[in-house]
Amino acid sequence: MIEELRHKARELLEKGQVELVIGYGAGSDPTRTMPVFIRRPEDCDHLVWNKYCYNNLTSYLTWPELKTAGKRAVVCKGCDAKAIVVLCKENRIEREEVVVIGMSCEGVGEPLFGKCEFCDVRTPKTCDIQIGATLPPLSKDNLFEDVRQLEAGNAAERWEFWRRQFSRCIKCYACRQACPLCYCTQCIVERNQPQWIATSSHPKGNFAWNVVRALHLAGRCIGCGECERVCPSNIPLMLANKKLAQVVKEQFGYESGYDIDEPLPMASFMPDDSDELFK
Amino acid sequence: MAEFKLNEAKLDELVNALKSEGYRVVAPVEEEGVFVFKEVVDPGEMRLDVLRTARSIKEWFFPRVEPTLRYKFDRGSVTCKGEMPQSPPKTVIIGCRPCDSASLPILDKLFDWDFRDEYWFKRREATTVVAVACDAPDSYCFCTSVGGSPDGTAGSDLLMRKTVGGCYLFESFTKKGWSIIETAKGTLEPAGQNEKVLVGEVPKRFDLNSVKPWLDNNFDHDYWKEISYKCLSCGACAFVCPTCHCFDIQDEADLQGGVRLKGWDSCCLPIFTRHGSGYNPRDTRDARYRQRVMHKFTYYVDKFGLTACVGCGRCCVSCPIDMNICTVVAGAAELAETST
Amino acid sequence: MSADIYQPYLMRVEETTDEAPGIRTLKLVFQDTVAGQNFSFRAGQFGLYSVFGEGECTFCIASSPTRKGYIECSFQQVGRVTRALRSLEVGDTVGFRGPYGNWFPLDEMKGKNVILIGMGIGLAPVRSVIWNCLDLRDDFRDVTVIVGSRSVDLLVYKRELRQWEEMPDVNLVKTVDPGGETPDWDGKVGFVPTVVEEVAPSPDNAIVVICGPPIGIKFTLLSLEKLGFSPDQVYTTLENKMKCGLGKCGRCNVGNTYVCKDGPVFTAAQLKSLPQEF
Repeated sequence: MIEELRHKARELLEKGQVELVIGYGAGSDPTRTMPVFIRRPEDCDHLVWNKYCYNNLTSYLTWPELKTAGKRAVVCKGCDAKAIVVLCKENRIEREEVVVIGMSCEGVGEPLFGKCEFCDVRTPKTCDIQIGATLPPLSKDNLFEDVRQLEAGNAAERWEFWRRQFSRCIKCYACRQACPLCYCTQCIVERNQPQWIATSSHPKGNFAWNVVRALHLAGRCIGCGECERVCPSNIPLMLANKKLAQVVKEQFGYESGYDIDEPLPMASFMPDDSDELFK
Repeated sequence: MAEFKLNEAKLDELVNALKSEGYRVVAPVEEEGVFVFKEVVDPGEMRLDVLRTARSIKEWFFPRVEPTLRYKFDRGSVTCKGEMPQSPPKTVIIGCRPCDSASLPILDKLFDWDFRDEYWFKRREATTVVAVACDAPDSYCFCTSVGGSPDGTAGSDLLMRKTVGGCYLFESFTKKGWSIIETAKGTLEPAGQNEKVLVGEVPKRFDLNSVKPWLDNNFDHDYWKEISYKCLSCGACAFVCPTCHCFDIQDEADLQGGVRLKGWDSCCLPIFTRHGSGYNPRDTRDARYRQRVMHKFTYYVDKFGLTACVGCGRCCVSCPIDMNICTVVAGAAELAETST
Repeated sequence: MSADIYQPYLMRVEETTDEAPGIRTLKLVFQDTVAGQNFSFRAGQFGLYSVFGEGECTFCIASSPTRKGYIECSFQQVGRVTRALRSLEVGDTVGFRGPYGNWFPLDEMKGKNVILIGMGIGLAPVRSVIWNCLDLRDDFRDVTVIVGSRSVDLLVYKRELRQWEEMPDVNLVKTVDPGGETPDWDGKVGFVPTVVEEVAPSPDNAIVVICGPPIGIKFTLLSLEKLGFSPDQVYTTLENKMKCGLGKCGRCNVGNTYVCKDGPVFTAAQLKSLPQEF
C-alpha cells in the first residue's frame, strides 16, 4: 500500500493536480509518525502508512496559513475523512479544493484503539483516490457500550466521575487544536467580554471548558478520537463526545460525517423533530 | 561517596518514616493511566520505576493556578487581601529524575531576577528534592545534550542511585538532604565500598556551542517554517515541560468580590502575544515555535547563563504531532555545521 | 513578611478627563497617603493598572515624576480592562503595580536640545517627559514638541497643547493628518514624518523622544535619519502585551530582552537589533 500511496501522491504533484500533499512521515521513533507537508514529487518517498498513523490530518485544512497553499491532497483514514464531509457542510472548505487519498485501514494503535473495534469506514466513504482493497465495515452494535456503563450509575456517581476526570485538565487545549472541527478563529475561551469560560486550570474552569467543547461538537464530532489521544492527562473525552453523539442519533436520527447532503442537525429544524428535548 | 543505601523492599518504610517526621511526601503516582507527581497516601502507590511522568515537578513550586489576591467590593470601595502562601507545608519530592531537579536552579534565576517571586521561593525553601538516577533512559531522553546527565545532581538535595543488588545508594549534598538521611536512618543500611551502580547512557545529540550562534544569526531562516508546518499551536509541550514558566494573570469575580489568579500559559498558544487592539506580533505558528526554541536555547542563556531545557523529552512524548525539540535543535546544529 | 511582588497599591480616581473619542486620562491618588508621598518613578516607566474583577492592563505613567502624590495614565478603550477603566468614576478604586521598566535618559538630556514627538495616544509617555523637562526648564536647552494626530478631535491633552503653545520657551508644533483638519484648525496639516522634516531640528547636541503607532515611528525615524540624527540619539518606548510587568511571565520577551525590564524605553539603534516581533 505504501508504494501505491507514494506513487499516487507523486503523480498528483507531477501533474500539477495539487500543490501540497499532507500525509504521514516517519516519526521520532519507530512507534510514531508525524504529519508531513510535501510539495515536491521526489519527497513523496517520505510518506509512510502503518498502524501508528494516528493524526487526523484534515485538521490542517482550516489553518489560515495553509489556505493559500493551493489545492491540497490529504491522506485520510476512514475516520479522518468523515471530517471532510462536515467541513464541507459547514462551508469551511470546498470539496473540490481537496483531494482525499483514502487509506483502507485495519485500525491504528498498539494495542488497537477503542474506536477501531467498531469502525464502519475501514475504507473511507469519502475519498477521491482509494489506496488498498476495500475492507468491510465492522459492527457498531456495541459502540456505545462504555456510554451505557457510565449511564448505569446514578447522577451523583456520574457527577463525581466527571468532576474527577475534568479536575485533571491542564487547559493545554491540545484537544481543541487536534480536532478538525474546532476551527473557530476566536475560541469561546479566548473571549473575555465577558469571560464565558475561565481560562485557569481550576475545577470550575476545567469543567466549563470540557463540557462546553463537547456541546459545541454535538452533532458534529466524527469520533476520530484525536482529542482523547492527545490529552496529556488521559481524560476520557470520547466518552463525553459519544454520549452526545448517541443523543443526536436518538433524537434526530443523524450521524456526523457520512452524508454530505444531509442538513446539519444543529443548524436546521425539521417539523418532525422530536419535542423530547423541550421537557 | 554514598554512605548509606536503602533496600528497595523498604521503600514503603521510608515513606512512612518521612510522613512520621511531618513531611508531605510527593512522588510519581498513577492517576487514571498517567503518572504524575502527587501526594503519596498509601506508600505502595509510589512508583520510582517510572522513567518519565506526564508532568514535571514544577507544579509543586509553580502551581497550575494560584491566587495572588482576593478582594471584596463594598459600595464603590475595594478591600484586598494578599494570598501569597506564607508557610507552605514541609515537603519532600521523591522519585523525580536528575533532569527534573536540574530545572529548579534554572527557574530560580528567573524568579529571582530583580523582583524575588516569593510564591516560588517559599515553596523551594520548604521542599526537599530527592532525585533518582536513571538506569534505563529511553530514546526521548537528551539530558546530556543540554549539560545534564542520567545521574546529575543539579537541583537535588539527595540522589538515589540504583545498585545491581536491588538497593538505592543515598548521596546527599545539602543540609536538607542530610535531614532526609537522618529521618530515614531506621530504614537505611551502611553502603559498601564497591557498590555496583546501574548507570544509564544517553548519547549526545547536539553541541550547544554550535547551536547558539546559529540561532542568534538565523532568525529569518526558512528552517522555522519548514519545521513548524505541523505544529498545532497547543500548550501541551509548555505545560508538561519542567522549565517552561510563562503565566497569565486573570481576574475572576462576581458582584461581591473576586480573586486574581496566576496560572500557566504558553507562548505557543495563538493569542499569547495578542494586544487588546487585536494586533498580534506572533500570529503564525513558525513565529511562535521559533520563539519557543529561541527562548530556551539562546535568549535565556543570554539573560541567565543557563539553557532553559533539561532534555527530559516530555514535550516530545506529549506532542500530538511528534514535534521533537531535540531533533529540531539537532537540525539547527547540522545547519550550523554545513554553513561553516 | 516577605514582599509579595504581585500586590497592587490601592488608588482612588481623583479626576477623569475624556481626551478624545475612546481616550481617557485618569488621575489617581494613593489611598495610602504615606505610600503616595514615598512613591517615585522616572519618566518612561510604566505600571499595571487594574480594575478589580476585570483584570490588569499596562500603560506608561503619563504624569511627570516631578509632581508627587499622584500619577496619571491615559489609554484608549480597546478591550475588557480599558472598557472598565473608562467607565470608572471619581472616587472609584483602581489597583496599581509599579513603577516598572527603564526610563528616558532625562539626565543625559540635560544641557541638550530636546525634541519630543508624540503621535496619537503615543503622546502619553512623551507627556511625562514634556512636563518633566518643563518643570525643570532651565536644565534643558531648546524644547521642541511635535504632536500629531489623525484628526483634530483625536488630539489628546488638548488643554495642555494650548498651555505649551503659550509658553515662550517651548516650540510647539501641532499637526493633523491630511483630511483631519477642521475649518478653524490653526496648526499644520501633514503626517508627522513630513512635519518633522519641515521643522528640521538640528541633530547637534540633541536627543529625540518619540512615541506613536509603529508605522508612525518607522517613518519618522527615516525622516530623522535624513536630518542627520543617529539612531543612538532617538529614544522610543515600546508598547507590548504584558501581564506581570516584572520579567517573570515571559509574554513580552522579544529577542534576548524583556520589554518590561530592559525596556520599554529603547533607542532606535537597540530596536533595530531586536527581532522585529513587536
